Amino acid sequence: MTVYETDVPGVGRKFELELGGGSRLVVLLHHDGRRELFVRPDPDGDSERFADLTGEQARKLGAILGGAYFQPVEFSSASVPLGDAIIEWVTVPEGSPVAGGTLADSNLRDATGASVIAVQRGPDTIANPDADTTLEAGDVLVALGTRDEHAELESFVTAA
Amino acid sequence: MADLLLQAGIAIAVLAVVGLLAHRFGQSVIPAYIVVGILVGPNAPVVQGVSFNLLERYEFITLFAELGIVLLLFFIGLEFSVDRLLARRGEFTRAGTVDFVANAGVGLAIALAFGFTPLEAAFVAGIVYISSSAIVTKTLVDLGWVADPEAEPVLGVLVFEDLVIAVYLAIVSAVATGAGDPFTSVGIALAFLVVLFAVARFGGPVAERVYAHDSDEQFMLGVLGTLVLLGAVGLAAGVSEAVAAFFLGMAFSETTHVERIERILSPPRDLFAAVFFLSIGLQTDLGTVRSALALVVVAVVLTTATKLASAYYAGRTYGLDQRRSVRVAVALVARGEFSLVLAAIATSVGTGALGEEIPAFAVGYVLAMSILGTTLMRYSDVITDRLAATN
Repeated sequence: MTVYETDVPGVGRKFELELGGGSRLVVLLHHDGRRELFVRPDPDGDSERFADLTGEQARKLGAILGGAYFQPVEFSSASVPLGDAIIEWVTVPEGSPVAGGTLADSNLRDATGASVIAVQRGPDTIANPDADTTLEAGDVLVALGTRDEHAELESFVTAA
Repeated sequence: MADLLLQAGIAIAVLAVVGLLAHRFGQSVIPAYIVVGILVGPNAPVVQGVSFNLLERYEFITLFAELGIVLLLFFIGLEFSVDRLLARRGEFTRAGTVDFVANAGVGLAIALAFGFTPLEAAFVAGIVYISSSAIVTKTLVDLGWVADPEAEPVLGVLVFEDLVIAVYLAIVSAVATGAGDPFTSVGIALAFLVVLFAVARFGGPVAERVYAHDSDEQFMLGVLGTLVLLGAVGLAAGVSEAVAAFFLGMAFSETTHVERIERILSPPRDLFAAVFFLSIGLQTDLGTVRSALALVVVAVVLTTATKLASAYYAGRTYGLDQRRSVRVAVALVARGEFSLVLAAIATSVGTGALGEEIPAFAVGYVLAMSILGTTLMRYSDVITDRLAATN
């Protein structure tokens, strides 16, 4: 993908982005911060102006386009180093069967297949908790397992 | 004091009103400012015993106009794009040379045919040669052509013209204003030009450091102070304030201050340039324009033709198709601020036809060409459709 950058004396700078199929997106950056957006459908066509943004609007749009504002999960490109296993978390509700007992008491791994790899309690993180770590209502259990195991874990922890 | 304030108020208010009208009709503001200057100036028409005269060419107007010239040329130097000079050098040089030979050549021929001296003819050649960067660039952006390939040859030719006009201004004003032996005055001017060129070439890093100031206010005062002082030195050395301002602009174009200058100094430039156009109108006597009418008509017809042809050639040189080349052709027709800067320099020289006839010609010519140029651009689709239909 090529970006062409040229000076427009007295106005600002112009950027052209190839969109494929001969069409181009043209961004004109004025010295006063204004940004005009054009699209040229084919090399012989005329550019259509489709947006005229202030500096602030442009920065907001730029953040959205750059993914800083909201980042959708792209499943096709996400790579998972753990095979089928993923990391999920579940909050221990009031009256949960596991609340008040140790991790060993809860028998979580045998019952669901998921392993608890950390417990988040308020601002504190208990990493790699051992068998006699006591679980409390409000704890967030960070666990490693397949999707099915996570489903099991969730229903086990939140069972009344 | 109240009187002075009133005069300034009237001047700025009439500019505001006609500027608004020009925008409403999709026209450039330059002809509007000139026309209102003629209408309310000392040569205002008298209708049924009532004169429209509101303004004289007061001292502050002359000063503002002078600052307008300096700032206009400073910005041209600032926006002078070395990138553009080096990119597509072959096309750039060919298009620019044809543009110069065709338009300045025909201007020179017309003026000599009308019986002007060679120096006067050189002024006429400059006035009809140079397209208006202000009008052309503004209309390019308004119409969205700036995003299309036709922007390349248009901006290329404008940059080439800027380069030519800097050298041209230096030589012509040296010859015209220099007392006594023209060779001595050209020598002094060329020496000063070499100094200026060195400033433009090597002054960048110094300007970079010296003007790096956090406060926008100090920054503006620093740049403006340097600019106006150097302009005064330029005028004293006989190369004209405009040339000095151009080269200082080039020095700044090599620094990171460019965008800050664009942001901070554009407002004062717009104010002073508007007053400059107004003052051109104020000093114009319609009677003199009428006496130069034959010259204006001949120049408008012939130089519209040569500009269309040379600019069409520029489009073809840059490899554009017929439709886009026609757009390049109509885009470059408008003449404006530089023709008027030349007229102002001619007035300040004041000898022979330079005093009245040539400035009057320039005003009539710019009025016609600025309106014709903008109108041709707005209706270029009609022209290109016609051409497509006949093919």
